[in-house]
Amino acid sequence: MKLRSRRYVVRMLGLALAVCATAALAQDFGGRSRRGSRVIAGEKTPYDGQFAFARLRHGEVALFRGEPPWAHDYPRAERNFARILTELTLVKPHLDSSSVLTLDDPELFAHPIAYMSEPGFWTMNDAELEGLQRYIQKGGFVIFDDFRGEHWYNFQEQVQRVIPNAQLVEIDPDHAVFHAFFDINTTDTQGYYGPATFHGVFEDNDPTKRLLLVANYNHDLGELWEYSDTGMVPVDLSNDAYKYGINYVIYAMTH
Amino acid sequence: MFDSFFQLLFEYRPVVFSQGELRFAAWGGSYVALVVAGLAVAAAIATYRTTGAKLKLRDRIVLAGLRVALIALVAVCLFRPVLVVKAAVAQQNFVAVLLDDSRSMQIADHENGAARADFVRQEFGAADRGALKALSDKFVVRTFRFSTAASRVDAEDELTFAGAQTRLGVALDGARQELAGLPLAGLVVVTDGADTAEDSLGESLLGLKSQGVPVFTVGVGRETLPRDIQVGRVSTPRFALKGTTLMIDVMISQSGFAGKTITLDVEDEGRIVGSQQVTLPGDGSAATARVRFSVADPGARLFKFRVAPQEGELVTENNVREALIDVRDRREKILYFQGEPRHDVGFITRAVRDDANLQLVLLQRTADNKFYRRNVDNPDELTAGFPKTREELFSYRGIILGSIEAGAFTGDQLQMIADFVDRRGGGLMMLGGARSFSEGGYAGTAVGDVLPVTLDANARSPQLGRLTVRPTRAGAAHGITQIADTESASTERWSFLATLEPKVTTLNAVDSIKPGATVLLSGVDESRRERPVLAYQRYGRGKAFAFTLQDTWLWQMHVAIPVEDMSHEYLWRQLLRGLVDGVPDAVEPLSLTDRVEPGETITLRADVVDSSFVELNDASVVAHVSRPDGSILDVPMQWSGERSGEYVAQVPAVGTGQYEARIEATRAGQVLGSTVAHIRAAPGDAEYFDATMHAATLRRIADETGGRFYTAAAMQGLSEDLRYTGRGVTTVEERDLWRLPIVFLLLIGLLCAEWAYRRRVGLS
Repeated sequence: MKLRSRRYVVRMLGLALAVCATAALAQDFGGRSRRGSRVIAGEKTPYDGQFAFARLRHGEVALFRGEPPWAHDYPRAERNFARILTELTLVKPHLDSSSVLTLDDPELFAHPIAYMSEPGFWTMNDAELEGLQRYIQKGGFVIFDDFRGEHWYNFQEQVQRVIPNAQLVEIDPDHAVFHAFFDINTTDTQGYYGPATFHGVFEDNDPTKRLLLVANYNHDLGELWEYSDTGMVPVDLSNDAYKYGINYVIYAMTH
Repeated sequence: MFDSFFQLLFEYRPVVFSQGELRFAAWGGSYVALVVAGLAVAAAIATYRTTGAKLKLRDRIVLAGLRVALIALVAVCLFRPVLVVKAAVAQQNFVAVLLDDSRSMQIADHENGAARADFVRQEFGAADRGALKALSDKFVVRTFRFSTAASRVDAEDELTFAGAQTRLGVALDGARQELAGLPLAGLVVVTDGADTAEDSLGESLLGLKSQGVPVFTVGVGRETLPRDIQVGRVSTPRFALKGTTLMIDVMISQSGFAGKTITLDVEDEGRIVGSQQVTLPGDGSAATARVRFSVADPGARLFKFRVAPQEGELVTENNVREALIDVRDRREKILYFQGEPRHDVGFITRAVRDDANLQLVLLQRTADNKFYRRNVDNPDELTAGFPKTREELFSYRGIILGSIEAGAFTGDQLQMIADFVDRRGGGLMMLGGARSFSEGGYAGTAVGDVLPVTLDANARSPQLGRLTVRPTRAGAAHGITQIADTESASTERWSFLATLEPKVTTLNAVDSIKPGATVLLSGVDESRRERPVLAYQRYGRGKAFAFTLQDTWLWQMHVAIPVEDMSHEYLWRQLLRGLVDGVPDAVEPLSLTDRVEPGETITLRADVVDSSFVELNDASVVAHVSRPDGSILDVPMQWSGERSGEYVAQVPAVGTGQYEARIEATRAGQVLGSTVAHIRAAPGDAEYFDATMHAATLRRIADETGGRFYTAAAMQGLSEDLRYTGRGVTTVEERDLWRLPIVFLLLIGLLCAEWAYRRRVGLS
């Protein structure tokens, strides 16, 4: 990946503004107080065979809104996404509950699709590392979202720990993940933080095999899901965000 | 023994009494004697009536009875009873002697360790010794040897005892026909009775009975071998998909090895591919061993099921059985129609992804009228959703319906799915889900009829059930539910999976199966109610499975299951292989046997249908037969006329080895399909199986034809018995009965009895 310094700075400024704006919006429209650093318990949906959105919990240092990075957009993002998912597809997810799980939580293995926010701040102890490794090796699929700029380097480093020799490659627009439900014919798209790119790691680094994870770099689908019902984010952007999310779920379920 | 005792008392052989007619050759004095006897009887009664007032009535009756019986016996003798029998005139009648020349006669279970063949040579090898001499003194003897067919023997050295078969019926027919028109006293068959012919003896015996030809059978050998292990029936499929794990039942019978543990090995071209320890049951009982192995190499493979020879076994040739399995290396195409996206889909497709012999085509309904396809052969395949024509649907060999409601299909499509199983012979599996079984509205539909489980006609709303799943007894031994490398490891694995939390779930209230269905996996829910989880049944030409779970992926993902564990993959690979196992092609070979004897005729049979699997009787069908010498023979196959779509051809098996028949069918210039069948021409080893002396068979032949059965040790009266069959050129002989030893003994006995009784009651 190439980062061009001038454009990067401009984007970072834009991002900072955007983050401030969204943080303020979150306080107004988020439905809960976010002032001060606090620990968010996070719920767990008991397994009953039905799809439940699973958010990965990592790190408890509060950022921006006084909440840890894993919790950004929680829980409104998954609630909204679940409603759109059931509205548009035949997937029947839990609508009023989801799961928040650490990487070493045994219950993670009952959720073959997991979502991680802010992987730029992602760290793992040995148990978490082993947990995620086993999760992916067994067939788990992880969506990384909401990171930009130099976050990439931490994300890349952690992915290398989980999957040694993993090649994070930009996913071709022709790939099945972009056509599993919606036909997303181009990935040349505006992300939440600027032009987004979509990366992935393939099984055995072979693009003909299964995608093990996807990463929405320079993008924040969760944020767009969270505010999609407020009118505070462009409809096109939130529509696209749902398209990506739905395609990821359908792809993961069928591959 | 019985015959000797009988002859001691009655002077003649039993056959004389059974064939003879009782008459009285009375003379003038007989009637005088009758009057005298009457007077004597009256005197005896009067005497015992008046004599000895102290006698009880019972004593008088007994004494009078004994005296009367004595007088009556003398009177009968004075009437000169005779047996009138027809006896064959010496050297005027023919007797056919049929000698078993098959391999089983080499078994050394005759007296003192001699071979059965030794007995035959000794007694029937030459006209100047043994039983053949006794026969030759009275009859004109024609000697035949037989195994596959009967042929004349002129010299002892023509007996080779190397025949690969024993066809009693053919031999009897052959001898009878050859001696037709001659005065034939009867047939003598010297054999162990181990008939290996597939045809029943009934017709041959009918022919003999209609002509009144009695058959005298001489059983050679023992009825049980003292120490023997026999690999009996082996049930193998004719065809198997490469890589499939087979569970084969092998019946092992034995004598003299009760309680011993032996090893049953399966060999594929000399390589051991499976083994099973078997503890032998008591003598006379058969053990059924289930041996497991994979068919890894394609082509016509000759598998041998072998038990190593044990110490003291007389027959070791019956320790091995052979079976030819045509291992097909091709991709079996299965259509998986999933009605709602869910995790199981990806895990199932991944489980069979590396199986080169399975092509799982996924038609995933993602939204109403919106489908996602995977693994299709071309861009047009399934673009309009589920197939709408039989031709399109029948191109698949298996169908999986995963949580797709009956309402998603038209009535014709539901009927097509039922026909897919019934007529096309395909495999259907319905998976559990909110839109499956009763919950999916299948009750009362054509598809519901096909399923192995009973459906509630009242549509239900899905109810969650958490199940503890275990294989049933049938499932523990079934190839489909083997999820580890060995049967015991598989059982252990299932026990482990049953302990996992969270449990696998179902949304379907499937409680019972249909008659004839088999449950392989069953589950116990929270209320301790047992439910069928995986069941199957044959339906028409195909089979149908019901698998009520919606999340077998938990058996892959669960935290307690090691990454390298293959249980989930094994389950789905075996399941899908089981789904398409035995599914016929448009041209399908039919054969009753995988082997013929060299020199016999190979009968090729094939079913031919069109793309809708409608039988065709006007197709052009040709078998290109590759013979062991490398030559190729093109043989046109004709419609059999017996059954629609069945074609037949005969090919002579001139050489020993493997024959490969590529059968191609065309119609109006269009290729309908082709298939390959393999048949071996090789000497059979059936002679060594059930190679004991079959007394029951031989006794039946004798009884039904009016002859007699003898064991080799008790055949001294054979030639004498043949004299009284009443056939051929005979003279009438009268045999006096009054002078039989039994009559004399009776007279003495009655006198003694009267004397002894009189002493007892104090009269003398």
